[in-house]
Amino acid sequence: MASALSRLLLLLVLLLAAGLCASAAGGRVDLWPMPASVARGAKTLLVSRDLGLSTAGSKYADARGVLRDAFQRMLAVVQLDHVINGTYYQGAPVLAGIRVDVRSPDDELNFGVDESYKLSVPATGSPLYAQIEAQTVYGALHALETFSQLCHFDFNARLIELHSAPWTIQDAPRFPYRGLLIDTSRHYLPVPVIKSVIDSMTFSKLNVLHWHIVDEQSFPLQIPSFPKLWNGAYSYSERYTMDDAIDIVQYAEKRGVNVLAEIDVPGHALSWGVGYPSLWPSAICKEPLDVSSDFTFQVINGILSDFSKIFKFKFVHLGGDEVNTSCWTTTPRIKSWLIQHGMNESDAYRYFVLRAQKIAISHGYDIINWEETFNNFGDKLDHRTVVHNWLGSGVAEKVVAAGLRCIVSNQDQWYLDHLDATWEGFYMNEPLTNIYNPAQQKLVLGGEVCMWGEHIDASDIQQTIWPRAAAAAERLWTPIEKLAKATTSVTARLARFRCLLNQRGVAAAPLAGYGRSAPSEPGSCQRQ
Amino acid sequence: MWGKFRGPIQENALSLCPCVCILAPRPRSCQPSPAQSLSNSNPTTQQQRSAPPATLRPLPKMPRNRPAYPLLRLLLLALALGGAAAARRDPAPLPANATAASPVYLWPLPRSVASGSRTLTVDPGLALDPQGPGGGAPALAEAFQRYRGLVFAPWARNARRAGAAAYDVARLTVLVASANDTLALGVDESYAIYVGAPAGADAIVGGAIIEANTIYGAIRGLETFSQLCVFNYDTKNVEVRNAPWHIQDAPRFAFRGLLLDTSRHYLPVDVIKQVIDSMSFAKLNVLHWHIIDEQSFPLEVPSYPNLWKGSYTKWERYTVEDAHDIVNYAKKRGINVMAEVDVPGHAESWGYGYPKLWPSPNCTEPLDVSSNFTFEVISGILSDMRKIFPFGLFHLGGDEVYTGCWNLTPHVRQWLNEHNMTTKDAYKYFVLRAQELAIKLDWIPVNWEETFNSFKENLNPLTVVHNWLGPGVCPKVVAKGFRCIMSNQGVWYLDHLDVPWEDVYSGEPLDGISDKDQQKLVLGGEVCMWGETADTSDVLQTIWPRAAAAAERLWSPLEAISAQDVETTVLSRLHYFRCLLNHRGIAAAPVTNYYARRPPIGPGSCFVQ
Repeated sequence: MASALSRLLLLLVLLLAAGLCASAAGGRVDLWPMPASVARGAKTLLVSRDLGLSTAGSKYADARGVLRDAFQRMLAVVQLDHVINGTYYQGAPVLAGIRVDVRSPDDELNFGVDESYKLSVPATGSPLYAQIEAQTVYGALHALETFSQLCHFDFNARLIELHSAPWTIQDAPRFPYRGLLIDTSRHYLPVPVIKSVIDSMTFSKLNVLHWHIVDEQSFPLQIPSFPKLWNGAYSYSERYTMDDAIDIVQYAEKRGVNVLAEIDVPGHALSWGVGYPSLWPSAICKEPLDVSSDFTFQVINGILSDFSKIFKFKFVHLGGDEVNTSCWTTTPRIKSWLIQHGMNESDAYRYFVLRAQKIAISHGYDIINWEETFNNFGDKLDHRTVVHNWLGSGVAEKVVAAGLRCIVSNQDQWYLDHLDATWEGFYMNEPLTNIYNPAQQKLVLGGEVCMWGEHIDASDIQQTIWPRAAAAAERLWTPIEKLAKATTSVTARLARFRCLLNQRGVAAAPLAGYGRSAPSEPGSCQRQ
Repeated sequence: MWGKFRGPIQENALSLCPCVCILAPRPRSCQPSPAQSLSNSNPTTQQQRSAPPATLRPLPKMPRNRPAYPLLRLLLLALALGGAAAARRDPAPLPANATAASPVYLWPLPRSVASGSRTLTVDPGLALDPQGPGGGAPALAEAFQRYRGLVFAPWARNARRAGAAAYDVARLTVLVASANDTLALGVDESYAIYVGAPAGADAIVGGAIIEANTIYGAIRGLETFSQLCVFNYDTKNVEVRNAPWHIQDAPRFAFRGLLLDTSRHYLPVDVIKQVIDSMSFAKLNVLHWHIIDEQSFPLEVPSYPNLWKGSYTKWERYTVEDAHDIVNYAKKRGINVMAEVDVPGHAESWGYGYPKLWPSPNCTEPLDVSSNFTFEVISGILSDMRKIFPFGLFHLGGDEVYTGCWNLTPHVRQWLNEHNMTTKDAYKYFVLRAQELAIKLDWIPVNWEETFNSFKENLNPLTVVHNWLGPGVCPKVVAKGFRCIMSNQGVWYLDHLDVPWEDVYSGEPLDGISDKDQQKLVLGGEVCMWGETADTSDVLQTIWPRAAAAAERLWSPLEAISAQDVETTVLSRLHYFRCLLNHRGIAAAPVTNYYARRPPIGPGSCFVQ
């Protein structure tokens, strides 16, 4: 009780301080997503053109260069190729570098890894060093992103300036799962495009790339255990080798982003049969996968076995949505198998999903399934199942009431391919709606915005993702009490973040209008 | 070994063809089609030939496309002499009667291509072997690294090096005849490539060689070489298929431009660089930077430091150093930057920093013709820009001048009366005076066609007239002895979203010009990406793939272009090039949508959308 009271008091003091400083410094805090707590002053620092990274005393050895490389990337997005040739005038405080203190020597990117950090930028002292403290290197990476957003190139002075110092920022994400889905089956996305999506995710602190690799249209990934599966690719070159997948996973990991691989079974799997036609119920009825054949599960086992060597994330996504089982009853062989086993179609659907779950578990994965599995046989799902909502709102509350974990992606608000879903809707979509029990709240791992690929290819993906995904990213990162109650109060800050994405070369679309609308007329990016 | 493919993509659609006969040197079996032989004569042009060309200052003398390829000549000779032996070496020798049926997946189409049927593997550690006086240029080494990255990334991890001996192509010899790295209009961009069998006893026909007179030719050659390299998803090697390749290439037009407009929407430097990169993939060579317009003035001008107060915000700006950076970045890719200061119209934003430039605060365009200060500012801008933009051409705009404000503003009106000028006279006076300022700075002035349409007899003979309003303008321009750049808005305005790629491809700068001397006055053409509805989010998508259609028109020989079937050969080649752009991270839109920059209509392969 006492500690709660003192925390409350501390919070009040912090809020008050932040408010005072804000009024002293004027203007808004242009950070996206908004950190948990921000205090600032009114001094302007000049950032040294040789800004240094110091890790003295840090327990993290950085053998893979995770921190070093992130620091270089941070410098690049701060300098944006500008020539920094201004004069560091006499007496102006110059920020000489950043001291980073990471407490954990370990840089495994486990689910729920500590992403918190403290960033302080003092206004006095010589030499001046910003200070980052984090439990893990991934917290430090978030701190560097926040730091980059504090810095501005001054076009007159030709220097990088950091306004409103001193800064004290304490930050930690509200949800451990902050995802973005990409779909490489409806359209192949070249590896450089996926990497640019990953880069842009880090700017708004998203941390899970849900890779919907395969669907009915194409099977682009190499599976060594069943080498004909990628015959289902659209073409010879619209494919990913295992090494490409490893490359993507490592690229993401170094940026604090986990890759969640999905194979969507038993529906959405028609392309599998291009290489192995016996996976189809018949040559004229190709979906869902043949439930009656052991070969089907051997292939799933082979895929997941290969997956387990490259996709090191705790979870694998097994899909399970939109299963139209009519081929099972119209194909005589399967029909008789169903009768033999005393199953109707919905039993067989459940049997398939649960058997696939067991295979995934045998490879060390926790399972994520789309919500239809829960809606149909929630009580039979493995208790480790994470239910991935999409059909609508109000699902998470049922899932957590049943004791299962949940990821929120209700399509009306968080499907990016719904162009009429506005950024305001993305911002206001609350994963914990109607969930008040703290134990149940913990079962909501977070949420994910979904960039389904029917109309998305390398030409328009970034434009359709951004800036709307950023609106959801703040919802998933920032403490609920610091989130805007009305989106009008964040419009200018989000517009500014969109300009920041543009400056960094990301094709984020204007805020105004539907998703990926072209600007309607000439104007500043800050007002469109 | 490939199983079934869905859709129209076939295995051979992705491999490079054995031979194309339409290109010189042409195998005997290929005769020009009737369409080709007709393509050079257009009866409508005959009447316009009479006007004698006015005197012109010649463009800077650059070595023209002299075939100065001693090494390759030697190679060819060896091939010819050892033809029988070569045929024996190659399991499937080059068919003597190859037809134009199988397309060459190179964009734009080179002048002459011959290929074979061998597959060569390329070493992931491919080394540059620079030769000749220009071989040591740092820009060449940089370009080589860039292209090696494009060829091997994102597959760098895959191609595990097995020791140089295991690869057919471990070294790329680049021979550059000239040490002069000056980039200018008409710089020699020709090159020749030979990619042959591994060096054996007859080492003379082995290896990969690019030969060029300048590093810019070599850079074009590197682009072509990179398009010859394909990744084998089975062996995980980068391969050159259908070797040996022998390619001789040179552009048809010296000026192959793309306009970017940073006034209607600011484009960050990073985005401009992405555009420059993508231009180099299609061998475009002039970035026409329409820096300023009525909406915003983003560039720093040290002589008049208030001018960039007309920027949208204090972040939507370019410093002088940013502009230098862009020019240097472009130069390394063989791309000139032609800056534009559009006067006297399209200049309202100048007055945010210097309101005196407006006729009055409530009538703010065109610039005040009556005030000397106006010309002082233009002079200051041009002097500052001269230090940034080394290109020989400078664009002074001159389009869409509505002179209403000059009549409505008493002091301007009075000045007109005093000088006995109509507003039309004043327009001419303004343009000509601005031209003099540019010429004094050793620039060739470029002006939009309204200047020619309004007072052609007064334009400085040096003027390059930039067509945009419609077809048929360049014939008139060259008939008067002026040089011309074609950007007919009906086909080459990229902001016209209803112009499909076939129409872009059909744009022909020499339409209506049959006189050879007059043809030489057409410097080339330019596609224009006006920025009213183009910003960082959609600019690349609106430029590509349509700009590539114009790029081929401007680069490749007319006969080669005319000989292709647009809806089969060209379309499949353009699909292929668009997928290549995507693979390189460029947001090129689907080819076949009727309207530009529309999303793909449904799931599918990029090779068919």
